[in-house]
Amino acid sequence: MSAAQHQALVLGSVSFVAFVFFLCFLLPARRTKFSVFAACNLLFVALMFGAVALIDLSGGRAEIMVAVMTELPVVLIVAWVCLALAGGLPAQLGNLPAEPVARRPWLRAVLGSPPLVLLLCVGLATAVGLIWPSPAMRVYAPAPPQFFILKGLIMAPEGFYAGIAALVFVMAGRAPGLKPRFYFKNLAFAVGMVCIASLALESTVFAGLRVWLAGEGRRAILETLNTVEACLAISCILAFTAGLSLRYTPAVARTLLHRLQTGWLRAQEQFESLEWRAVSAGEADRLTQASDAVVAACRMKGLSESDTQKALATIRLVAVMIDPSSETQNITPEAARKLYELQEEILRDDVLASKLSWAAGWRSRAHEPQTVKSAPLHDALKAALDLVDNHGEGEGLRTPPLWHYIVAVSAADAKMIDPAHVSMRLRDGAEHRAAVEAYDAARRALRMLDDHD
Amino acid sequence: MNVDVPKRDLAGPFVARLASFWRPLRNLGAARSRVDGSRSLLTAAEFQEELAILGLSGRRFEPEDYSDALGGYLNISIAVHVIPDSWYPELSRQLAISGLLGELRYSEQMNMAAIFVPGSLPPLVLTLTILHELGHLAAGDLLIEPEEQPEEDIQHDEEAEFTTLPLKKGKKLARGNPFAEESLREREANLRASYALFAGCLGDENPYAHDMYDVL
Repeated sequence: MSAAQHQALVLGSVSFVAFVFFLCFLLPARRTKFSVFAACNLLFVALMFGAVALIDLSGGRAEIMVAVMTELPVVLIVAWVCLALAGGLPAQLGNLPAEPVARRPWLRAVLGSPPLVLLLCVGLATAVGLIWPSPAMRVYAPAPPQFFILKGLIMAPEGFYAGIAALVFVMAGRAPGLKPRFYFKNLAFAVGMVCIASLALESTVFAGLRVWLAGEGRRAILETLNTVEACLAISCILAFTAGLSLRYTPAVARTLLHRLQTGWLRAQEQFESLEWRAVSAGEADRLTQASDAVVAACRMKGLSESDTQKALATIRLVAVMIDPSSETQNITPEAARKLYELQEEILRDDVLASKLSWAAGWRSRAHEPQTVKSAPLHDALKAALDLVDNHGEGEGLRTPPLWHYIVAVSAADAKMIDPAHVSMRLRDGAEHRAAVEAYDAARRALRMLDDHD
Repeated sequence: MNVDVPKRDLAGPFVARLASFWRPLRNLGAARSRVDGSRSLLTAAEFQEELAILGLSGRRFEPEDYSDALGGYLNISIAVHVIPDSWYPELSRQLAISGLLGELRYSEQMNMAAIFVPGSLPPLVLTLTILHELGHLAAGDLLIEPEEQPEEDIQHDEEAEFTTLPLKKGKKLARGNPFAEESLREREANLRASYALFAGCLGDENPYAHDMYDVL
């Protein structure tokens, strides 16, 4: 077996072992588009080197073709990684760029160019090799300067792009507040790309030494470099394996997020904005008096601002649902129940419920932000459904708060709902009597104010 | 949304013709440019790219932060005016009757944009309305050539491609050009607002932000 065959056997074996490892351990656990692509590449490399180890391809243009073919998988890996970092892969393969690249258009343009540049360079190198054949596969044989040009044409851009990719992985890994798993993942890929860049440099130096180095120590130096090459190849594979095996499952699933964006947010925004329009445009005629009385009654009973807001939101909802205009016809008990269920779904998810919040006003960080739970609409939906929906069970309101009674009394007085329904729903207890008293007092006070004006 | 367009110099037909030659060349050179006359609606992933450009990807942020970052990127001053009902009681009524929740004014001459929203809006609606108007600025909707005639698209599903319009000189955050149809521009501004709200709330728990650190 010649030195070239021996070298091919070593590299082929490493590639085959890596392929088997990918197939048995990595792919079943984490199948990404890149891991499948890398596995295919490893198999291709193993087959190529295996063929070279078995068949002595010394001399002629066939040797050049085989040499170029063995470089192709690494070239393709570098091109894929660069395109992935630039967000240039087709949409079905994942098309978001790395964060540092998104902010730098020039970097994006550089990382988007490897497929064209690298393939052009490989084509040029092949042309050089075919015009001036050289012993490309005979590892220690002296070579003409054209061999250095052939190697340089492939290795210089490959090393450059691998170096840039390594730099981007380092930048991505250094992002402040990044989760440790992403830090180590990007670090592993950075090491892998540094190994590829080092391999390209080593390969160029090796080619130069084959052309220009002579004397006794030549063979020993080339053998040392060969060992370095094998070590770098193994390190590269291990680094990529480590990077690919690090998984992170987001606390909020993408499908859930999409459902909330198209379901909950749209519905809640529609409810609140249509209700605001109806109230602001004065479309719900019976509402104005009723809402003033509700607010006054809540304040007389010393209820908190939060409870007063809930009472106000409830009376508005009841008014809009009972007396829908063309604008508010979408605010129906069915739609309200659906929205309430979506809110409950969010509240069952601790992470989501704690994260979802919005400011109570513009540049008002002093105020507590609203959440799905704290926003008046959540409790208002439940209360309004209990008052309006004759078919509902009203399970959650066995002991309603005082503001709920006040709204019920007010809505019944304004003929929005049937008073008999209110009595049946809320029963005549102490809270109900207190609400009636407060509401009557509020109405009297408002009437006196009106008379005074 | 209103635009105050300054009186432009009459550059002449020669310059206009040069510009029409330059536009496709510029689009050819841009990396992955989608300025090709049609595109689909903005996706959450594409919005994440915009956030990364503004330096907000993976961070919790408020609409104020988004407004400041967007103003800085576009190099314009963005002022948001929340008008209390007691100051101008008719504003809410007028807006409600006209079916609007807020108003965006843009002056090209003064390099500034102003958003007006009534203070009586519920907090979530207020937040989404401001983000919606900021979304118009990000999309470059205010840079549409006034003489461009919008074309009606028939398909309206999310995957469909819709006609876009060329822009006059000016900076925008979005990679694609604004849609020709106004309803689509409004729909995309709504999408931007909802993406911004969720991204701002979730911060580093946003799965789309993760994708930018996990590209392989």
